[in-house]
Amino acid sequence: MEPDTDIGGPLHRFPDTNHSAIINARSDDSSVRRRAFDTILASYWKPAYKYIRLKWHADNEDAKDLTQGFFASAFEKNYFATYDARKASFQTFLRTCLDGFVANERKAGQRLKRGGDMDHYQLDFAAAEHELAAHASSTLSPEDYFHREWVRWMFTLAVDAFRQRCEETGRVIHFQLFERYDLSDDEVSYASLADDFGLDTTTVNNYLAAARRDFRRIVLEKLREITATDEEFRTEARSLLGVGHP
Amino acid sequence: MKWLSDDKLNHLRSVVSDPDFSATKYTFVKELGRGGMGVVCLAEDRELDRLVAIKVLNTPEDFGDRMIREAQIIARLEHPGIVPIHDVGKLPDGRIFYAMKYVRGNRLDEYAAQGASLRDRLRKFQAVCDAVAFAHAHGVIHRDLKPQNIMIGSFGEVLVLDWGVAKIRDDPRSSAFHQTMEGTVIGTQRYMSPEQARGEIDQLDERSDIYALGAVLYFLLNDLKVSKAAQAISAKATATTKESRYTTASELSADIGRLLDAEPVSAYRENAFERTSRWVGKNRFLVLLVLAYLLMRIFLIFTSRS
Amino acid sequence: MSKPLIGVILGAVLGAIDGLTAWFTPAVRNELFGIVIGSTIKGIIAGIAIGFFARKFHSLPIGILFGVIVGAILAWLVAFMQGGYYFEIILPGTLVGLIVGFATQKYGTPATAN
Repeated sequence: MEPDTDIGGPLHRFPDTNHSAIINARSDDSSVRRRAFDTILASYWKPAYKYIRLKWHADNEDAKDLTQGFFASAFEKNYFATYDARKASFQTFLRTCLDGFVANERKAGQRLKRGGDMDHYQLDFAAAEHELAAHASSTLSPEDYFHREWVRWMFTLAVDAFRQRCEETGRVIHFQLFERYDLSDDEVSYASLADDFGLDTTTVNNYLAAARRDFRRIVLEKLREITATDEEFRTEARSLLGVGHP
Repeated sequence: MKWLSDDKLNHLRSVVSDPDFSATKYTFVKELGRGGMGVVCLAEDRELDRLVAIKVLNTPEDFGDRMIREAQIIARLEHPGIVPIHDVGKLPDGRIFYAMKYVRGNRLDEYAAQGASLRDRLRKFQAVCDAVAFAHAHGVIHRDLKPQNIMIGSFGEVLVLDWGVAKIRDDPRSSAFHQTMEGTVIGTQRYMSPEQARGEIDQLDERSDIYALGAVLYFLLNDLKVSKAAQAISAKATATTKESRYTTASELSADIGRLLDAEPVSAYRENAFERTSRWVGKNRFLVLLVLAYLLMRIFLIFTSRS
Repeated sequence: MSKPLIGVILGAVLGAIDGLTAWFTPAVRNELFGIVIGSTIKGIIAGIAIGFFARKFHSLPIGILFGVIVGAILAWLVAFMQGGYYFEIILPGTLVGLIVGFATQKYGTPATAN
């Protein structure tokens, strides 16, 4: 059975291993390293911030400084080059590095200088803080909370990437159907969507199926970028998709 | 970017992991279960108008062709105790799927929990051994035998399911999937042979399955009062070293058969008393008749004297 | 072991035991040897008949019934020839027939089809 063509390339091919930001973080080429760092930062800054707030009981300003300070240090000192996929997942490695960094900063007792190399990143800490305040309660351990927030953030990034891709390729209606059916809190039926969009239900069904396939691919592409090996990717995919992890 | 609530997040996770059967001849009915390797759903085969169970694997596409080939080999295992694979292919999103016979019934663990007798459990177990022996004879090792992968159908038939991590013995093409999994643990902890638990993929052979069968037998006997012979069979099958186990599943099945027929089993050496007890147990009606005859004789002797 | 052979062996053994218990009846103790021989032969005859029946007909209840009937008839004949001890001879003889009938149905190699 041949897959139909889609946006962004052949459906059935995953990005090659060298699309992994983890691998590229060790590159000798500084521009490659920078792009890899950007990917890692984008995927982890928000769960890292929330984790620091929850586990280390830092106030929002300290947590913001610590988050930026950690990633700045990680880039300058190339923490991610020491990552060994045989020992743990990258997520666990990053969280461990983060704990070490925060512990050291607390011991040093000095207020971290804000900005530095992080000034040009527009990280929406206010939104993160708002989310924390609105949805703070959790019975999860800090580690499981970090994982949960990372999953949430990965899917959020994937939704945004999916929307952008649909806009770029003229498939806005696909995203709109997906948004109404799978993202909205309202209960909608295929029939009501068909009425609203002036389509028949078969077309709604097909568009939604295509949208979900594309969305799945984007989720897994994003995951592939932040895993180092096929085995880590498979393990994290199972975890991300909800098999055997909170 | 909009906050994703826990409910919405869980919904998106299932959207992403739910199989997409469009462009296949199957219609999704419901999810039957999820495991580490993938999701199993009930689906309707629209062409043949029947229900099938479909397992969709969560593997990257670069192992897909190899897994299809292995599915083809397993599909050739035509045995009443091996769930037949009807179809194999790729979904539109690239994931590999198997379509299998949908078995209505209970898993072996559910069957045992319903209070099945020892004899019934042993008969079902023997049927499992026979199915596994057949697979072994065709070079296929299951590697994930456990009560949850054994179904008892509504007519009492026994079927071994979930050959998804099966290995084709001595096949040099038997996937890089297996070779790259060296060091990875395949199987379920409780039923895993020591060599399997150590991730020694290339050391796995039929005796690894026999270990699992022994663990299944132990599970079946665990809540019952059983003879030393039965315990000895389970112990031999789950010996730590491969050399100490039964060599074949047929040997294990034969010992179970002997146990059912109250014959001596190879795994246990009886003393004279146990041998006599077993013989008496097997022929108790005859023994009772002869005792009744002797008692009647004694009775007549005393009555004739008086 | 074939069914008739099982019948013969079991019939002979039980018949001999039957005969030996005559020792406990002083009135016939002098004739013990003859009684044992006669009883053993009776057991063998019953065993042959019941064994061949079991070879032909595979039914536990019917086999037992046949054994009971054969055992009772042969025992009655012996008691009639003795001119007495009907109860002491027929009851054990019937029970022997029952045991041989059961054993020949349950054990022994059935006849193979040609």
